[in-house]
Amino acid sequence: MNQLMSDKRTIFFLVAPGSLILISMIIFPIGMSIYYGFTDWGGIGDYNFVGLENFKNIIFNDEIFSTSLINALLLTVATILIQHPIAIFLSILITHCGRWEKVLRTILFIPAIISIVVTAKLWASIYNPQYGLLNNVLESIGLSALKQDWLGNPDIAIWSIIVVTMWQGFGYAFLLYYAGLKGVPDELYEAAKIDGANPFQLYLQVVIPLLAPMMRVAVIIAVIACLKQMEVVYLMTGGGPGNSTQLLGNYLYQTAFSSAQYGYGNAISVLFVIVVLIITVVLNKFLKRDVGEY
Amino acid sequence: MEIQGHTNQTITILQKRKRKPLGVGKVILYTFMAIIGFLQIFPLLWLFNYSLLKSGDFFGDTIFQLPSPPQWGNYVSAFTQGNVLPYFFNSVLVTFVSVALTAFVSILLAYAFTRMKWRFSALFMNIILLGMMIPIHATLLPNFIIFNEIGLLNSYWALILPYTAFNIPISMFIVTGFMETIPRSIEEAAVIDGASIWKILFKIIFPITKPAIATISVVNFINCWNEFIMAYTFNTMDQFKTLPFSIVQFVGQYSSNYGAQFAVMSLIAIPSIIMYLIFTDEINKGLMAGSVKG
Repeated sequence: MNQLMSDKRTIFFLVAPGSLILISMIIFPIGMSIYYGFTDWGGIGDYNFVGLENFKNIIFNDEIFSTSLINALLLTVATILIQHPIAIFLSILITHCGRWEKVLRTILFIPAIISIVVTAKLWASIYNPQYGLLNNVLESIGLSALKQDWLGNPDIAIWSIIVVTMWQGFGYAFLLYYAGLKGVPDELYEAAKIDGANPFQLYLQVVIPLLAPMMRVAVIIAVIACLKQMEVVYLMTGGGPGNSTQLLGNYLYQTAFSSAQYGYGNAISVLFVIVVLIITVVLNKFLKRDVGEY
Repeated sequence: MEIQGHTNQTITILQKRKRKPLGVGKVILYTFMAIIGFLQIFPLLWLFNYSLLKSGDFFGDTIFQLPSPPQWGNYVSAFTQGNVLPYFFNSVLVTFVSVALTAFVSILLAYAFTRMKWRFSALFMNIILLGMMIPIHATLLPNFIIFNEIGLLNSYWALILPYTAFNIPISMFIVTGFMETIPRSIEEAAVIDGASIWKILFKIIFPITKPAIATISVVNFINCWNEFIMAYTFNTMDQFKTLPFSIVQFVGQYSSNYGAQFAVMSLIAIPSIIMYLIFTDEINKGLMAGSVKG
């Protein structure tokens, strides 16, 4: 048995196919990005090594890069402060909905499984100043003063984008908190009731603190998802107007494919990966607080 | 355990129902949740509704218009102008091959990590799991350069390989978790009977692992079906484009055919929704398993 299970040839053939795909599609390309990130390659012809020039420029001189980072941060903070409390609140309510629980759960989650292309184009239509749903709704409830070009106004466009990403991502946050709630043992509810806690005390002082581990997970997922966000902006505004909705992924795409600055684009790619990895690791460390067993 | 929990829940619900038919609180709760559910799903209802309107009717002021008569012709236009049929075929092909390849490779990896004894097992597994954090967008440019170099642009493999690569980490993680719960005594008996590792893997382990395979396959199906940016970047020839592209197709000469655009969006969204409705539990399970890892 032991001999069979440590047979090197077998292990090789088990591990090789997966490793080959991962190395050729993810690891090697990232390595190549790092290499070209140190050059001034324009896509064709020769290139020179420019050392850390690209990286210095991106970090210190590139305003669009910092706008992208700030927008990603705004998106993240808004998601955590607005979407997550709603998700927690609704997941608590939904556990009291008895036989409607499953139907409601499904409905709340459906936007999350629809293609991002459909979501983006659908919301672009909702925001459309000519036939869009949003302006029509505002008009019909007598708020026509608020009607406007939701994606064309640089002060508002980023918030229009944030609403879309929140709608799309709501299902995931909701599902996590819902699962967290289901993990709280029934005895705790009973015990709290016997101790005379009212529903508010029960949730605020007993249940929500127990959701802390799930919150950690949900926050980390939200941060990564927000940093990686790109398609919505690409399809709805292209980062505009005036880069006001620019995000890292989209900026990277434009630099690389529209302006053919391959060296610079690769350097952004590398920084992008580094930012995501650092934030994930830091969050993991920072949020890892022991929660009592239950 | 799950069944038991479910019965307990049903019993409590039944008891509650016997005690009080429907309190004021419940009525408020149900009404509130119904409104929330409706708001969440409304953009999609609007999408389906408008996909049956004449393009001229888009510019009315009403929010919801009963199509009279429903313009099923929009769906016909979607097929003719949006090139839906060939793209649909490409989407199906790419998705199924990617899903099957991911499942196959993940089983091999999971078996190597749970059963085989080798020195770098844990290290290797962690490296693969790190792949979950890499943003797709950071590999777009290097992969584009590589594919261009080796002539892989505009082919099915240009999508199948990266899709598989990005789905492997999470899939392997889910299958590994499942395999760890399979008792080793089954294999020990087979080894004594003289079976090889491959025979054990495909004749014994694979059938037992089917529930986990189902979970990862459904989640991967949705990921691949919805993927846009790689498909948009790597395949620019009509022959290889996938379904999400058909929305982008509607620029230029057909850009005023709103009805058909909405029909295309509906056609892309519907398969995902159907998949979700059929496999709700598998999908929820798959997403949860992935997120708990963090």
